[in-house]
Parts: sequence; C-alpha cells; structure tokens
Amino acid sequence: MITVDGLTKRYGSTVAVDNLSFSVEPGVVTGFLGPNGSGKSTTMRCMIGLDRMQAGRALFDGKPYSSLRNPLHEVGALLDAGNAHSGRTARNHLRWMAASNGLPAKRVDEVLDIVGLQQVAKKRVGQFSLGMKQRLGIASVLLGDPRVVILDEPANGLDPEGIRWIREMLKHLASQGRAVLVSSHLLSEMALIADELVVIGKGRLIEQCTVDQFISRHARKWVVVRSPQLGTLVDVARAKGMQVATNETTAEFHGVESEIIGELAAANGVVLHELSTQTGSLEDAFLEVTATSVEYHGQSEAAK
Amino acid sequence: MIATIRSEWIKLRSVRSNVTTTIVAVVIPLAITLLSVTFMRTSGIGENTLSDFVLGTGSIAVLLIGVIGVLCITQEYSQGTIRLTLAATPKRTRVYLAKFVVMALVGALVTGFIILASTTVGSIILESRDVSGPHTGPDSGSAFVAMILMGSLVALLGMAIGTLTRNPPSAITTLVLWPLLVEGIVGALLSLAFEDNVTRWMPFQTGLNSMFAELPEGGFGRWGSLGYFAAWVLLVTVIAERGLKRRDA
Ligand SMILES: Nc1ncnc2c1ncn2[C@@H]1O[C@H](COP(=O)(O)OP(=O)(O)O)[C@@H](O)[C@H]1O
Ligand SMILES: [Mg+2]
Repeated sequence: MITVDGLTKRYGSTVAVDNLSFSVEPGVVTGFLGPNGSGKSTTMRCMIGLDRMQAGRALFDGKPYSSLRNPLHEVGALLDAGNAHSGRTARNHLRWMAASNGLPAKRVDEVLDIVGLQQVAKKRVGQFSLGMKQRLGIASVLLGDPRVVILDEPANGLDPEGIRWIREMLKHLASQGRAVLVSSHLLSEMALIADELVVIGKGRLIEQCTVDQFISRHARKWVVVRSPQLGTLVDVARAKGMQVATNETTAEFHGVESEIIGELAAANGVVLHELSTQTGSLEDAFLEVTATSVEYHGQSEAAK
Repeated sequence: MIATIRSEWIKLRSVRSNVTTTIVAVVIPLAITLLSVTFMRTSGIGENTLSDFVLGTGSIAVLLIGVIGVLCITQEYSQGTIRLTLAATPKRTRVYLAKFVVMALVGALVTGFIILASTTVGSIILESRDVSGPHTGPDSGSAFVAMILMGSLVALLGMAIGTLTRNPPSAITTLVLWPLLVEGIVGALLSLAFEDNVTRWMPFQTGLNSMFAELPEGGFGRWGSLGYFAAWVLLVTVIAERGLKRRDA
C-alpha cells in the first residue's frame, strides 16, 4: 500500500505539486488522472526519491522509498520506457538492474519470458519499437516481484494492441494483490483500466474515489423527450423554471430526473413517444472538474 | 555494495561505445610507441628510448582513459538510465562509490596493459632490428607506476566532471581544455609575475609531470606531484558526489 501525505514540490517559482495526499490500496488498479502539466510525473519522481520534495512524504507499507534496502523487491516503477541505453541489449539492460538488487540472471530470463521478449533478448534496445520498449519496461518492473507497481502514462503512443496488452497486464498484477498506480491524462483510458481514481489538477488533489463514483458525480445527465405535444410539455416545464433545450422533434430537460418529467407529462395529458435519461461522456466530466486547471495552464501558455 | 559494483561493471562492458573507447585508448598510445621504435634510426636508440616513448604517450593515454570516466556517468544522463540507477539504489553515495571503484580499477588496468603491451612488443621490434637490450631505463619502473596511478586518477576526474556537467561534450571539453589551455595560460601568466617555479601548482601539469622518467627541476618530486594531483581529484570528486546527492535526477 502507498500513502502520499502532503507532498509538495516546487521548481523555482513553479509549484508543480501542492500539498497532495492520497493512498493506493493493494489488489486494485488506481488511476492517477490529471491534464498534461498537472504534476503526475513530478509526483511519481518524488515518490521514488528521484526528485527531492520540499514537504510531505510518500510511504510504501509505512517506509519511505529511500530506506528500502533492495527497492526493486518492493516497488517496481516505470516512469519512461525510453529510459534505457539504446546501445545495450534487452537482456543486459535487465541484467544490470537485477544485479544491483542482488537478483540472479535467471530472473532476467523469467521476466523476458513473461513479457514475451525472449526472442529479441539479445537485440539492442535502440532497434526496439515503442511497444517493445514498453514491454521491456514492464519486465524491469517485474524483476523483483514487487508488491507495488507504479507506471507513468504507460499507454502513451501505443497502438490499440499495445494498450490492450498493458491493460490486461495491469489488471493481472492487481488481481495478484499488488498495489498498482498508473497515470494518464485521458479519463476514457482510465475508465477501462482503473477501479479507483486519484484526480489532480494544478498539482492539487481534486478527488479520490472510484471510477463509477466520479462519473456519476460529475457526468452531466439530462432527460430526452419525444412527443407529438412537445410544445405543451416544454411550456409547462419552463413555467416551473426548468432548463429546456429544444430542437424539431425532441426536447432536452437538464437538472431533473426522468420521473419528474413523466409525471409532468401525465398531469398535463401529454403523450410521450420517448422518455430517456442521457449521460455525458467521461471526457466531458473530467474536463469539467479540471476546467480551472486547464484554464490556468491555458493562460500561462498564452503569457509565454 | 558488491551488488552495486557488479551492476556498474555490467553497465560499463555491455555498451559497445565504452568498449570502443577503451580500445582506442589502448591502440593510440600503443601505435605511437610501436611506430616510433620501428622507424627510429638505430644509431639514436639508447637504453631509455623505449621506456621514454611509452612514458611520452602517458598524457594521451590518461586523457583518453579520462574519456571513459566521463562516459560512465554522462551516458546515464543522456540515455535516461540515471533514473533507473537511482531508483534501484537510492543511496546515491553508494552509487558514486561503486562507479568510483570500477573506474579506478579500469583506469589502472588499461594503463597497465598499455605499458605491458608497449614494452613487450616494442622490445620484440627492437630485437628484430638487432638493437640489444635493456630497452627500458633504470628509473622507468617508478615512472610506470606513476603512469598507472595517473590512469586511475584521470578516469576518476573524468567521472567527477561528468557528474557535474551531466553532458558528454562539455565534460570531455573541460577534461581536455583544463590541462592544455587553462593551466597553460594561468601557468604562463603566473610565471611572468613570479620568479619561483609556480607552474608546479598547476594540478594537471604537475600530475602529468609525475610520469616523466627524469622529473623537472623545482617540482614536488614524483610521489609529491602525484599526491598533489590526487588531492585535486579528491576535491572535485567530493563536490561532484555532493551534487549527485542534492540535485534532482
Ligand atoms: N524539472 C523541472 N523543472 C522545472 N519545472 C518542471 C520540471 N518538471 C516539471 N516541471 C513543471 O511542473 C509541472 C508539472 O509537470 P509534470 O509533473 O510533468 O506534469 P504531468 O506529468 O501531469 O504532465 C509543469 O508545470 C512542469 O512545467
Ligand atoms: Mg507526465
């Protein structure tokens, strides 16, 4: 289990992460969601001690990363699949990592097998496609059979097959009881991979909840009605102060449940041909919640 | 610590450009010595000739070895592996120390190999030209030892500079321009101002001078010169290691 508590990181005058707290439970995939530049990568670098945080702490089963004797046995982190020497073979890349934590060369062959790279183990990483590098990165994460797995935007740039592979792998790792934290700037991607969500914007925590809770809380809902007496229903609803958008054959009622509209129609003798509840897209919900941070970044881009 | 050293050793030998650089560092001084003894007039060849040639390539040899030291750390930054290294071994002092041990050994072994190969093959060439031995002078033994230690020290200096700049070209430039340009200019200016032999305070020049068979007048002596240079290498090393510990990776 991971506990992040009050993590704060500034680069000069830029506050990249601001008093961020969240937790990651074992056995589930936790999605770390935020727009580009919201501080996901920075948080992850601070968590594993690569960048020094100004305040706060990140604990892995109660211990800070820097106190782990052989960290690869406890935490497997993949921040960027490109972090591999292009002139080294896949096997040698894993061998030096394994050796640093006292793992035998045999384990290197095992993880190469797990990710399906045994055929190209003696090829240099520079010849690898992004998908292959991503697999090599996952192999390095698995080396020490860690209880915690951290991945930064692992689906970025992958083709659909690669994304599916990553997704299945993450679900598999979580089902084995590991704590899995995976970041993305796309809610649609997260909805497919993650169970829990940690949503951030501008380096601050916006919400920690399940994916379903997040969607039901933030996704916009409205009621669509089709009726030969649409005009009557719209007039009554507007008279009651409801927000209604109309087009030729249908009307959209915002901020009400379908029951209310159904009862309103019955009370006024309006025949309904359709009465349905619509839900906005996940991306809409996400953008709405992080709107302030997007706006902020839009302004700072413009100011440059 | 042993695990970290093993890991660093695997890193060093598993990259072809490191191996190539090492081969170049051996071949260039070796070739200079062998070509010299092959083509020199036999009348001019004396007892010290071969050892003087070998020691004469010392500066080039140790600077090329310094490049290996630069690469062992700067390639981690240019290829991004430094983040994996520090994630695998969060104790950064241990990482620096492991690289230090590996580079000290590599520097000494490569220099030792250059000396051994140059003197052995050089002697064979001289014998084949009917020049009888001994081919190495009486004082050359201690000068060879100094050259081996310089190989270690310059490798470590390269590594320290590389840790500070994090970037191969600027580290290599610093390493090469330091003895050639900076110390040359500063030394020349100082000797204009003072009568005393001030160039001996130039660390790199003094270090390189420790490899001469006959030491220049007014210096610190062979081991004194080496120790003086070693103190500077240690200073830069301490600064580099602190930087590694403090800065974001
Ligand atoms: N090394 C750094 N130096 C200066 N600013 C940085 C550095 N790393 C990140 N930042 C800034 O911190 C903010 C968060 O960046 P990042 O963590 O990369 O966000 P994300 O991964 O969510 O896209 C950005 O404004 C970025 O410009
Ligand atoms: Mg990022």
